[in-house]
Amino acid sequence: MIPLEGFLQTLIAGILLGGLYALIGIGMTLIMGVMKIINLAHGELMMVGMYIAFWMFELFKIDPYLSIFVAVPALFFLGIALQKFLINPVLKVDSILPENQVILTVGIGMVLANLATIFFKSDYRSTPVDYGTSAWYLSDYWIDTPLDLSLSVPWTVSFLFAVFITISLWFFLSKTDMGKSIRATAQDLDAALIMGVNVKLMRVVTFGIGAGLVGAAGCLFIPIYYLYPSLGGQFTLIAFVITILGGLGSTIGAIIGGLILGIFESMTATYIGMGWAPVGRFVIFIAALIFLPGGVASLLKRQRFGK
Amino acid sequence: MKRLSMLMIMMFTVGILAGNLFADDTLELSIPLPLTGSQAKFGEMEKYSYIIAADEINARGGIKGKKIVLSFEDGQGKPEVSRSIVEKLIDVDKQQVIIGDYSSACSKAIAAVANERKVPYLVVTGADDAITQQNYDYVFRMNPSNAYYAAGLISFLKQVVKPVSIAILYESSDFGTSGANDMEKQALEMGMKVLVKEKYEKGAVDFKPILTRVKAEKPDVIYMVSYVMDASLLMKQLKELRIDAKLFAGGAAGFAIPEFVNNAKDAAEYVVTATLWSPQAKYPGAKEFAEKYKSKYGDYPSYHGAEAYSAIYILEDVLKRAKTWNAEDIRAAMKATDMVTAFGPIKFEDKAGYQNQNFMDTLVMQVIKGNHETIWPESYASAKYLFPIPSWRSRK
Repeated sequence: MIPLEGFLQTLIAGILLGGLYALIGIGMTLIMGVMKIINLAHGELMMVGMYIAFWMFELFKIDPYLSIFVAVPALFFLGIALQKFLINPVLKVDSILPENQVILTVGIGMVLANLATIFFKSDYRSTPVDYGTSAWYLSDYWIDTPLDLSLSVPWTVSFLFAVFITISLWFFLSKTDMGKSIRATAQDLDAALIMGVNVKLMRVVTFGIGAGLVGAAGCLFIPIYYLYPSLGGQFTLIAFVITILGGLGSTIGAIIGGLILGIFESMTATYIGMGWAPVGRFVIFIAALIFLPGGVASLLKRQRFGK
Repeated sequence: MKRLSMLMIMMFTVGILAGNLFADDTLELSIPLPLTGSQAKFGEMEKYSYIIAADEINARGGIKGKKIVLSFEDGQGKPEVSRSIVEKLIDVDKQQVIIGDYSSACSKAIAAVANERKVPYLVVTGADDAITQQNYDYVFRMNPSNAYYAAGLISFLKQVVKPVSIAILYESSDFGTSGANDMEKQALEMGMKVLVKEKYEKGAVDFKPILTRVKAEKPDVIYMVSYVMDASLLMKQLKELRIDAKLFAGGAAGFAIPEFVNNAKDAAEYVVTATLWSPQAKYPGAKEFAEKYKSKYGDYPSYHGAEAYSAIYILEDVLKRAKTWNAEDIRAAMKATDMVTAFGPIKFEDKAGYQNQNFMDTLVMQVIKGNHETIWPESYASAKYLFPIPSWRSRK
């Protein structure tokens, strides 16, 4: 029974991790879809969100999950400001490098990480919440269960929040005027322009939403993880892999990509070795580039239009 | 352009003159430490401890009448940065003795430079066995090497826990790897089965997959070598998965500092850790230093602080005995060191494949009611150890 128990426990861990990864990935994917640039400051924006949650907890004893309502608007406006005052002006300038906006985002990330080091020092921080180590156990509810599975409270709550945020995003993108305009801009910029979509505004709003999403991800991560100024790079990388895996700009692709990555990493850790988990991440990344250049999204499309 | 270079030359000369003027009654010492980056917590603690020691010695009139003036250079925990700092200290500032840095990787890099330039280097905290196993004549280490870190813990295991199997989880760094290898060797010598030996990348979010494997193997002892945040994540997730073992043991570093208890909270209870020193250690000045540190900076220092604090006293002792303050004479004086510091007895010996290595007893601490208490060897104990430990399910 033990192998099955181990497998299921690993699967649970993978899905929970994947759900959170997906939320980090969606923000980057959305920005990628609309603006055609990879936002390499994504992890640093998450770090900002985590610091907001941390200080709210430290100063006002506000639960990190409630800080979502502070961090998301704050990051939304930060994103808008970055897009409006930094990225847009660069978009207009002709340069030798066509991708200089991407390089700009790297710079923004570095500035954010270093500002955090200056203001908050490089200490590790965490929010030791009371429910930090509580979990639900199958054996508590079903005494003679052959499999003792457990479900961590903060991980599950974070996962549910991530699902809820993702569903709201989907609703926003498919049911509201503004959401439809954003999708139109992503699909065909010129056509959207001709149809009277305010492309410029959409760009700004999208960057804001992308930043807000990753800010929310930060609030969901801090109860289960910890925080330090240079943590961004690691998560930028994860978001990048998910974006490629999901198919550059597809929201559903990013969700599936996030789950695949989470489960794959957990399985690698259990069955091959934890030191190999980052290797597994890059194997997936390269495999996606070689065998599935369009990402998960291209598979979905083939299904839809194939017959 | 010409004027600029003239100006530079002038400033340079003035600088040298000024340096010479002040050099008469001060001893300037630059110490590389990780002050930013992921090891900054330890760097900060060592910095404060160095300062406390220097202030005490200065208050007594300094070393041979010269006041110690400390400055700190940020190595960021990166070996290449530490290396270049030390190259500068030796080549440009002509510093005749090097002390400091925190991690094994950085200490290793510095040891290579110092030995090449024939300047004595006192390793304060770097624990990788290899540092003093390379026939470096100019490298001295005051802390026991990694192989001896767990000596106290091993005797606790032998006499109290009597386990038959062990799982080893460690961070994939110099410190983690050598600590895990040493533990594996000693566990096999004791006749234990090593069921799992697994490394992880520092900064991992989710340890549950690997812990699930550990759970299936049911080891008696789970031994972990980690820095502080990974240590608390590991214990938290062990609790979440309700993995019971006879003993949860840490290999010093992250498990031995108060932040571990602050972060892991109730999951930290009953965890034992190897350590080199504790504020309850019965060495002259240990308690006074711990209290002084606490009153100034709010918390008790871990062994890292005691090492840094004592390093300055070793230096004082060495410089008092040295004929001149040249690298060669300082090296000779350091080789003859035989003293007791707040950290413990210091004597640099060549044995068991090591050169200029200090050997000493190590301790075991256990988290009891949210505090680190020394439990082993019993002659040093501040509290009776709690064993066997209750299962997760029966804890509230």
